[in-house]
Amino acid sequence: MSVEFRNVHYTYMSNVEALRGVDLVFERGEVVALMGENGSGKTTLLKHMNGLLKPKVGKVLVEGVETTSASIAELSQKVGLVFQNAEDMFFESTVYNEVAFALKNFGYEEEKVRKRVEWALRFFELEQYKDQSPFLLSGGEKKRLAMAIIFAWSPSIICLDEPTIGQDSIQKEKMMHMIKMLNMQGRTVVLASHDVEFIADLKPRVVVLSRGKVLADGKSQEILTDGGLLKKASLLPPQLVSILERLGDLGVQRKVLDVDVAAGIIADVLRHELI
Amino acid sequence: MSLFEGLRFRPGNTFIHRLDPRVKLLVSLALLTTAIIYVDILVVASLLALEAALVFAAKVGRLWSKTLRGSIPLAILVFVITFISQYSREPQLLVAAGYSLAYSLRLIVFLSSFSLFFLTTSPDEIALTLQKLRLPYEYSFAFVSAIRFTPVMAEELKTVMDAQRSRGLELDKGPFTKRLRNLVPVLVPLLVNVIRRSYELAEAMEVKCFGASKKRTSLRVLEIKRNDVIFLVAATGLFILAVSVKVMGLEPVKSIPYLKTLFPS
Amino acid sequence: MSVIEVSGLTFTYAGAKSPAIMDVNLEVSEGEFILIVGPSGGGKSTLCRCLNGLIPHFYEGEYTGSVTVCGLKVADTPTHILSQHIGMVFQNPQNQLFSLSVEADIAFPLENLGLPRQEIRQRVDEVLELLNLQHLKDRSPFELSGGQQQKVAIASVLAMKPKIILLDEPTSFLDPLSALHLFETIDYVRKRLGLTVLMVEHRVDLAAARTTRIVLVSGGRVVYDGGLRNFFSEYEPHAYGVSVPRVVQLSMKVGKLVKNWNTLCLSPEEFEMEVRRRVRRV
Repeated sequence: MSVEFRNVHYTYMSNVEALRGVDLVFERGEVVALMGENGSGKTTLLKHMNGLLKPKVGKVLVEGVETTSASIAELSQKVGLVFQNAEDMFFESTVYNEVAFALKNFGYEEEKVRKRVEWALRFFELEQYKDQSPFLLSGGEKKRLAMAIIFAWSPSIICLDEPTIGQDSIQKEKMMHMIKMLNMQGRTVVLASHDVEFIADLKPRVVVLSRGKVLADGKSQEILTDGGLLKKASLLPPQLVSILERLGDLGVQRKVLDVDVAAGIIADVLRHELI
Repeated sequence: MSLFEGLRFRPGNTFIHRLDPRVKLLVSLALLTTAIIYVDILVVASLLALEAALVFAAKVGRLWSKTLRGSIPLAILVFVITFISQYSREPQLLVAAGYSLAYSLRLIVFLSSFSLFFLTTSPDEIALTLQKLRLPYEYSFAFVSAIRFTPVMAEELKTVMDAQRSRGLELDKGPFTKRLRNLVPVLVPLLVNVIRRSYELAEAMEVKCFGASKKRTSLRVLEIKRNDVIFLVAATGLFILAVSVKVMGLEPVKSIPYLKTLFPS
Repeated sequence: MSVIEVSGLTFTYAGAKSPAIMDVNLEVSEGEFILIVGPSGGGKSTLCRCLNGLIPHFYEGEYTGSVTVCGLKVADTPTHILSQHIGMVFQNPQNQLFSLSVEADIAFPLENLGLPRQEIRQRVDEVLELLNLQHLKDRSPFELSGGQQQKVAIASVLAMKPKIILLDEPTSFLDPLSALHLFETIDYVRKRLGLTVLMVEHRVDLAAARTTRIVLVSGGRVVYDGGLRNFFSEYEPHAYGVSVPRVVQLSMKVGKLVKNWNTLCLSPEEFEMEVRRRVRRV
């Protein structure tokens, strides 16, 4: 297994209890979406995965190693964390140096650094900006650079905190594609998101957090179609689910996240009724 | 750093809180001035007692005591220095101790004299006070903005540090020069954010008519009320008393026989 | 009655090689609720800033064409006058609130305008009540949630009593529930005060049912300006970075499978109504 949370409790210095007894296991190669309203503990959970935060009670194990017995730098080599405003962490004069920074910190030699940087930039279609200042990139390019930075040292686990915030549909599509590619390479991907439509399209395993506890854990089709559960977690259901719920009395099947399948069902109902 | 705890605003609705900030400012000034002109342990002790009474009335005791605790290291330093210099002049243990105590208590009164002001006056009121003192609006606005955005920037600092740590940056290890260099990946993004924020703020200020009228009005005004006058009169009276006693060359400490032996000069 | 008239507007930021917006013509009538969409970097924000005077008064560059708001020529009118006719709410809730209390932030523009104290007090109280913010009036903006901060930003703008409000991606930083709540607030205020609203948004699904018109800005030009249903059926919204609401996608697919289904529904409520209508017909 990749990551294990055992009865994890965490309270911030401001006395806010962010995690109140979380038990979770993320297996290698999974794609997991952490969902929940602001303050439910999503970001806190992610920060425990690379040791930025250490549990007050309980344990977090990353590939068998307890996070309390390793430094953040050591854990980060296995767990890449892409923050929400990752574009706000640039400081180097060139895109190349920005990607190389982490690699140098992790002790890679010159030649390996060069190879990795070029590989990462190519993967995220940023090679032409190699010698440019990261500050001059467009919004979408900056987001890709943030991902390239993490990707460069090839962590086996990648965490994304709200990867689709403020993006247009084309950028979101690219993000979906990148997540799927990363997963195809055998990486575990954990994303915190409240973009229900995006998650409904991605169809990962969904873990719903509410006020520091795991409220539900299962398949997207099960969780995202459960209106009552989502309401309890202060989440809006996907629009499709709202529609089908409204037509519940017509015998419409509700555990559907696909527009095509839903259209077929509605069409059936209409044709059936018209006969 | 706990020294600065006594300078943070603590919301409340006590008599002291409701006093006009200008009055509180003057009283703090009076306290400070009295502490400066006197080295008399009796006076200094009573000043401290007075401060304590006011602090108690304002229910900000806990934060004030943090300032006191924060000033202890400095006070001890002063005690030691005074003791050494006094003892070398007159090798009498009790006398030297007495003077050192007086000086260190005096220091504590210095450091905490404005504490009351800051603990019971909201930054908004401070800004209003500055305006009333004819400071151009731009300056009090800058003051309020600085306070307004300090917690925001503190949070940003944490976020940037977390992000860079996740890229393998070690902020707590290595020789001093390395640690300084490691601050660059933290300070540059912070600075960039500050600059970006100032552009966004400038836009918002423009849209909210900043600088539109030379005669800027204000929703809140400071008004001197009856309580303010009473308080000010009482404080002024005590201050005049203190100054005249000093001017007349009297030394309150000499009024108590035991103390007279401890403080001969 | 026309409240905004844009004619032949072209603007190039100082130092830029090409115009940010080109040859834009737009006319907005009183009371409309317009959604402005388009890909990131396509010119939406620039257009907004041309409407409230930030361009050309705050941003320098080459400016041709004319923009008239409430009868005032934007290029010739100072921003503090324009702000009393067309208010603007920005994307980042944090960076448009200056003071240490909600009340002070709402009063801020009015104080800047030098209005008499009584008037300021009255307007502040009115707006606090309208937006249900009285219980927050002494709180510091830092303590508020993103949604509350945006409400305060809107309140601060409404205090100047503009007839038009411009919102530049106001829900970007908010979670879906807060975004929905903000939309409802904006809609409520619009109806209550008879405002004209122009909103730049990526969250088309929340806005679709309430807006009357959609303007697509891409590559610096207005590519489409008209009704939503038409837009979704005739154009490829995704190609422009505009997400198509699921209910619209569903309507289109059902329309292909069932005879006599020609409606494009813009909200779950509408879709439900359409289905039940046909079911009852039996």
